[in-house]
Amino acid sequence: MKELCRETYRYRELIWALALRELKVRYKRSVLGFMWALLNPALLMLVLTVVFTTIMPTNVKHFSLFLLSTMLLFIFFSQSLSYAVEAMVGNAELIKKVAVPKLVFPVSAVLSNIINLGLSLIPLVLLTFAMGHPFYWTWIFIPIPLAALTLFTLGATFFFATANVYYRDVSHIIQIVLQALFYLTPIIYSIDQIPIKYRWMFWLNPLTFSLSDFRMYTYYGMLPSFASIAASFVTGFLALGIGFAVFRKYQHEFVFYV
Amino acid sequence: MANRTPAIKAEGLSQCFRVMHERPDSIRELFTRFLRQNVEYSYFDAVKDVSFEMFPGESVAILGRNGSGKSTLLKMVAGVFKPTSGKVMVRGSVAPLLELGAGMHPELTGRENIVLNGLLMGYSKAEMLAKQSSIIDFAEIHEFIDTPVKQYSSGMYMRLAFAVATEVDPDVLIIDEILAVGDMKFQAKCMERLHAFRRHNKTILLVSHALGHVAASCDRAILLEAGRVVQDAAVQVAIADFKQRMGLADEEVEMLTDAAATH
Repeated sequence: MKELCRETYRYRELIWALALRELKVRYKRSVLGFMWALLNPALLMLVLTVVFTTIMPTNVKHFSLFLLSTMLLFIFFSQSLSYAVEAMVGNAELIKKVAVPKLVFPVSAVLSNIINLGLSLIPLVLLTFAMGHPFYWTWIFIPIPLAALTLFTLGATFFFATANVYYRDVSHIIQIVLQALFYLTPIIYSIDQIPIKYRWMFWLNPLTFSLSDFRMYTYYGMLPSFASIAASFVTGFLALGIGFAVFRKYQHEFVFYV
Repeated sequence: MANRTPAIKAEGLSQCFRVMHERPDSIRELFTRFLRQNVEYSYFDAVKDVSFEMFPGESVAILGRNGSGKSTLLKMVAGVFKPTSGKVMVRGSVAPLLELGAGMHPELTGRENIVLNGLLMGYSKAEMLAKQSSIIDFAEIHEFIDTPVKQYSSGMYMRLAFAVATEVDPDVLIIDEILAVGDMKFQAKCMERLHAFRRHNKTILLVSHALGHVAASCDRAILLEAGRVVQDAAVQVAIADFKQRMGLADEEVEMLTDAAATH
């Protein structure tokens, strides 16, 4: 873990440049460019609002805000994973020709998605005002669940990026798993809607903690339980520890397989 | 020379590739192979027990026919491949010029790639920005510097890469067969720069089939055959030996002498 921090710091400029390159390439040749990072969630919100007020009305107040608050985080998680899994294979040209610590690729993939997430929070705030939903002071705590989620995402990323070097099936499996995970995580519903006797199953999903906490701060204006915050960090550090250990063990072989 | 510290020291360097006959690329394949119990490997020693020392100010070429392990050896020295056994120590900063376009992103402009390339070699953004204009001057690509490099010709690619690698002023320069892409004028410029490097007590390790280049820019050459060192001597001696050994394969010699003559 110390090594991870040291190398990340040492190559911070490279990681930053790779993350920006990622974003630049993503929005290249589009007229609106970086605006898409803002427009995507706003348009998604529009769709959700129309669906859940006219086609499928729900009695949750400002349901589209309820949904979007956690959905943006899930999109961050799933996109980081999808990008990072491809990161090793996609950067094969660099890995084969330049001596560079391999960890810069997954880290920069996650970083580029953090930037994207940060930008997408702007329309979330604007829409909160636009819909007349109260803007709670608890918003100031959002870095806490975001930090925990980032740790977990990095861990998952290291693990699956390694696996994908050896078996390209991983990138396909990941897509299915992410689809399932979307419905198994309290995103379109809240954990309170789950019958008590099944609820423990949802706590096995580490995403539940940081996503529910984020919703507490932004949608309900309440503070989550200390247990939930602790759990989000424990699972986050655990995932990062395991993921990085696996990555570190195999990283010298990547060059022969990508 | 004996009491100086070497710039590069390789000890018993070996690289063994595991060649899986039709390596399973998917779990399904691995699974079926596992059931049929026929996962076959063979081992291939690309580089075998290579040891050498290079001192600051020395310029050494690695010679050998195709597949003799030259590039694999360079990649181990540059740190891209971790040696299967043995170790290599390199003192000071290294600039590897391994293959055309390495460390460049096709979608980014020349200017952006100068910074990216430098960061990949471990230099800071500020250092690269400071050197930017001299790099552009040397590479002579003023009018295309803000064009994505995917639209560059291979000559432009090489000029930019060479300019970046030499302009950062590394202690050790590693070059794999890329000088051949530039035109005569630029090649002359490169040779001149390599000479300047040697005068400044820098170390150059290069692979090239252009024997004329090798003779002009190196003082020593190491000859590899099937991954082993068969000759390590003054450049003229090694070239003569190489030509003699290559005598066995006529068409290859013809190609080489042609290449040497044109450069």
